[in-house]
Amino acid sequence: MAHYEAPKQSKASQLIDVLVLVALTVGALFVPLILNMAGAAKTVASPEENPTWESLGQNAVQAAQYEKLGFTPETAHDLILARFDYSFTFGALLVMIAVIVLYYWLMLRFSEVEYREVIAEKFGK
Amino acid sequence: METWNLLEYAAWGVSALLALYMLVDWLRVDSTYSEDVLTSSREGELEAITEEHHV
Amino acid sequence: MADIDITSKDIDGMGPHGTKVGLLRVLGPAHIWALGVGIVLVGEYMGWNFAVGKGGAYAALIACWVAGILYTCVAMIDSEVTSTVAAAGGQYTQAKHIVGPLMAFNVGLYLVFAYTMLEAANAITAGYLISVVASMTGYSGELDQRPFIILVIMFLAWLNYRGVLATLTFNLVITAIAFCAIIVLFLSTSGILGGGIMQHAALFEGHELPYGWIGVLAAMHFGLWYYLGIEGTTQAAEEVRSPARALPFGTLAGVMTLAIAATLTWYLCSGVLPWEYLGDGVNGSVAPLFDTARLSGSTGLLWFLGFGTLFATLASANGCINDASRAWFAMGRDKYLPGWFGAVHPRFRTPYRSIIFLVPIALIFALGAPLDQVITFSILSGLLEYTFMPLNIIMFRKKWPMGTIKRGYEHPFHPVPAIVLLAICATVFFAVFLGYGTQLVAMIGFYIVVSLWFHFWRYRFVNRGTQFTMPWPKPAGY
Repeated sequence: MAHYEAPKQSKASQLIDVLVLVALTVGALFVPLILNMAGAAKTVASPEENPTWESLGQNAVQAAQYEKLGFTPETAHDLILARFDYSFTFGALLVMIAVIVLYYWLMLRFSEVEYREVIAEKFGK
Repeated sequence: METWNLLEYAAWGVSALLALYMLVDWLRVDSTYSEDVLTSSREGELEAITEEHHV
Repeated sequence: MADIDITSKDIDGMGPHGTKVGLLRVLGPAHIWALGVGIVLVGEYMGWNFAVGKGGAYAALIACWVAGILYTCVAMIDSEVTSTVAAAGGQYTQAKHIVGPLMAFNVGLYLVFAYTMLEAANAITAGYLISVVASMTGYSGELDQRPFIILVIMFLAWLNYRGVLATLTFNLVITAIAFCAIIVLFLSTSGILGGGIMQHAALFEGHELPYGWIGVLAAMHFGLWYYLGIEGTTQAAEEVRSPARALPFGTLAGVMTLAIAATLTWYLCSGVLPWEYLGDGVNGSVAPLFDTARLSGSTGLLWFLGFGTLFATLASANGCINDASRAWFAMGRDKYLPGWFGAVHPRFRTPYRSIIFLVPIALIFALGAPLDQVITFSILSGLLEYTFMPLNIIMFRKKWPMGTIKRGYEHPFHPVPAIVLLAICATVFFAVFLGYGTQLVAMIGFYIVVSLWFHFWRYRFVNRGTQFTMPWPKPAGY
């Protein structure tokens, strides 16, 4: 197989490549944040009026630890009652599985093509 | 308290100094040495050396 | 053994004749341990407790142990491959030789991401700690954490810039102190020495598994945090005096250290802090070991654990800068990234341009994003990397069966660890899906986009045959 000669990359082109990569990276982190889709917020399903340690489901020891930490039933209310919502739809689960499998399939596929080229050049046919 | 305000300024100052040190050193190195020398590092050095001993 | 002369002066990229300035080989096994454990130990001081919030205290313990199995598999697989492929870049270089260039590019990015995000998380925590110290010493105003966050990153970048030996010796010292702090806290509060303050039974009463078993699955997500980053030891391969011996030893010793530290940490914190408080790392317990020390009533312990927490964050950020810059450097050297990054400082012998470049990136994340998001991105990148590892080892054993090349370490029971690892990774993907499905899809979307960018544009600058630098025979099946 013919020896592949990589072109020399100019300084400007190198800079552009770095900028593209940084922009994509920052985008991947901040776009879900900005769109407010960054999930996993806890919510309080049924708030307690005039909470006491008992009504928050805390026994004496648990209440004592909270008090040592500087909480009162009022200030600890949200902390104690907030829960995650783990409900999900099978459709969403299937989408996620499809995305992951597609990603690794794509990865292995393209890698294999490139790898054959590397081996062919390195070791000859 | 005043101390913590001073510490804040100190942290800004020291950060700036460290950043400046790295920037200056970076530019000095880049202008002293040629790009060929700086980017001459190659992977697989160790393997090459052991290979030379054994082959 | 090899049917190609890899010391050839005519073929481009063959060492060692090409190298005029390379990285310095100065590290021993203790530095590898310090690099591995140093990065991770902060996970016991903060972050792991999100697992408690996800499923309760028992769920966090189960997650801790299952993640321990995951990382044992990771360490075994990694030790075998890396004791054979010893180069800066670690898993990136492994992927390049075993799976192919595109996978290698992705793995390189996983590494840089996981470490840079972790570094940002550490800097955020350090800034928070300093603000706590300020309020404890009677400062009434609102402390501006930003200068301290920036200082942490700048100082450690500077240390890394100046040389690897000083950097990792510093890490060894502060990691050892942080580890001792956990042991001392355990000895003095568990009842072994003097009176114990553990009240597990009473604190767990009525809250054994607040979400049921799905909570245990969900907790797996943050269970990784107990160990995340231990695989970074391989990044030091080019700077270690005898990689084939030091890397497996340092990595396996590291996993054992962490399994002990993680279990002790869980025991201490869950025996003192109510789970709702412990599990909320944002509004509740940001630094659970420190909070445990606070409730012990001892000022000495309080300061010791305060310093332990600070040291752990510094050690971790320090190791992250080291690892991320090595991976970035290795990719630059192969032109996977602009070749400009493949430079080594002629005096300090460090990849100085990569170190400098990653500073502003870390600052963007440390100053601009909330802690749990940063942690999630770090975990996701790590998870994608662990999913790659079983594929990697299976292909490695297939392309170069036992006996065809010299391996520094051979892991037992192949392919059981690979299959176990793959199964646990699938479970963690499900756990991430339960809480952070959008980020998961966004993250993979990002990797798909950059992969296409690499395959169709960036790869043209990479020389084909020369990037394969190991003195191995042709792989089976090609």
